Amino acid sequence: VGEASVVSVLDPAATARWLTDGANWSGGASIPTRVAESLQVAGLAMGISLALALPTAVVLAHLRRGEVAASAVVNLGRAVPSVAVIGLVYPLSLRNGFGFDPLPILVALVLIGLPPIFANAYTAVRGVDPGIVDAARAMGHTEGSVLARVELPLAAPVILNGVKVAAVQVVATEPLRAFFGGPGLGTFIQLGYANRAAGDPQLLGGTVLVALLAAAVAGAFGVAERMLVPRRVRRFPGGPARPEPAADPAAAPAS
Amino acid sequence: VTSPAVPVDGVLGAARNPIVRWEWVADRPDELWARTIDHLQLTVTAVGVGLVLASLLAAVALRHRWTFTPITTFTAFLYTVPSIAAFAVLVPITGLTMLTAQIVLVSYTLLILVRNIVAGIDGVPAEVRAAADGMGFTPLRRVLTVELPLAAPVILAGVRVATVTTVSLVTIAGVIGFGGLGTYLIDGFQRSFYTPTTVGAALVVLLAVVLDVALHRLEVVVTPWARRRS
Repeated sequence: VGEASVVSVLDPAATARWLTDGANWSGGASIPTRVAESLQVAGLAMGISLALALPTAVVLAHLRRGEVAASAVVNLGRAVPSVAVIGLVYPLSLRNGFGFDPLPILVALVLIGLPPIFANAYTAVRGVDPGIVDAARAMGHTEGSVLARVELPLAAPVILNGVKVAAVQVVATEPLRAFFGGPGLGTFIQLGYANRAAGDPQLLGGTVLVALLAAAVAGAFGVAERMLVPRRVRRFPGGPARPEPAADPAAAPAS
Repeated sequence: VTSPAVPVDGVLGAARNPIVRWEWVADRPDELWARTIDHLQLTVTAVGVGLVLASLLAAVALRHRWTFTPITTFTAFLYTVPSIAAFAVLVPITGLTMLTAQIVLVSYTLLILVRNIVAGIDGVPAEVRAAADGMGFTPLRRVLTVELPLAAPVILAGVRVATVTTVSLVTIAGVIGFGGLGTYLIDGFQRSFYTPTTVGAALVVLLAVVLDVALHRLEVVVTPWARRRS
């Protein structure tokens, strides 16, 4: 394959024209449809990840149990590459009549979402000052109330950060789906890549869209944090400190 | 080159073929081995080059504190670009070459490595550093024989995360034509033939887990004092 048409395939002006062309903004394979397809599967994956990881992590951390098992599961989850998950799930999905989309990508995205949510929720609840928890018990709080009214509010910023990291990674990984026959924003990158010799502006256009969507998701979580976490909790000395970047259990790249 | 990736044989044909056809595996042990080694080489090269670059960046950040934020902001930015897009966009510039793969792979290792090297060296107690100076160690000898060994657990933890991540990214590179085990995944998918996909995916997971465990062992071996303490 000739890679001669560098100028045309990565031409910012052609990309800008593609991004602003009205024809790309309406109809079945248009940008809004693709964004909706991507967000749908990403949202579903995040919902499943949250439902699985959040209660487990919070309860285990409150009981101060299962530290070794929990970190082993998180580490294993991180060691299993998402493409490999797609590869392992898709034959099973086809053979059981679920088709090649969206089950494989959904399983892969759920597995990407789990570790950061679990790790941050566990560390955050575990890191609440034990003196504060004891004080709450001494004041007559039940265990449930200690969890809901003391530990969770103090842990909220770190938990939210884990959810944010998970969401950004899920949105950034979802385009892989297009390389395995699925719809979504990745189709622009996949088709643009296949037609790169012809100078197809979709390649760079699709990349810009995926990056913008990931940035928008990150931005939305910034807003959510301001709204959900009371300012006094954000500065409260008894809450767990935000992990240093190097030690942040959520830190991992977008696939 | 990648074609629109809908299985050509149709879903029904695909539904009948077995998950793993063992005679396919038995037919090509050499090829499977060669691609696994290829995958391993891409991973080790990227982490090695990443470690050299990250050491230089970390040295600059430790010497001139104000550069730490710009360096981590830049490497964090590199980290957020979806890798499939990063590979795809670079191909028209540098081709389907080792260089293209390494540019992307090395970029993704930098954030973790720089942060962990800086955090590891920062974690060395000031009095230990002062004692080394007091004993007349040159700065280079102090770094090599005192600070690096003490920072080793944090640095190695970073190398471990970077390595496992890189195994995953090499697979993605393979999906769009860079070789390694990812080639099997996309090949099996496009032919609606499960065996290469399943075998490729299983080998990738195996490689990631083996490297993870090996680096964990290394961590234990180079920091015997950590075991004694606990």
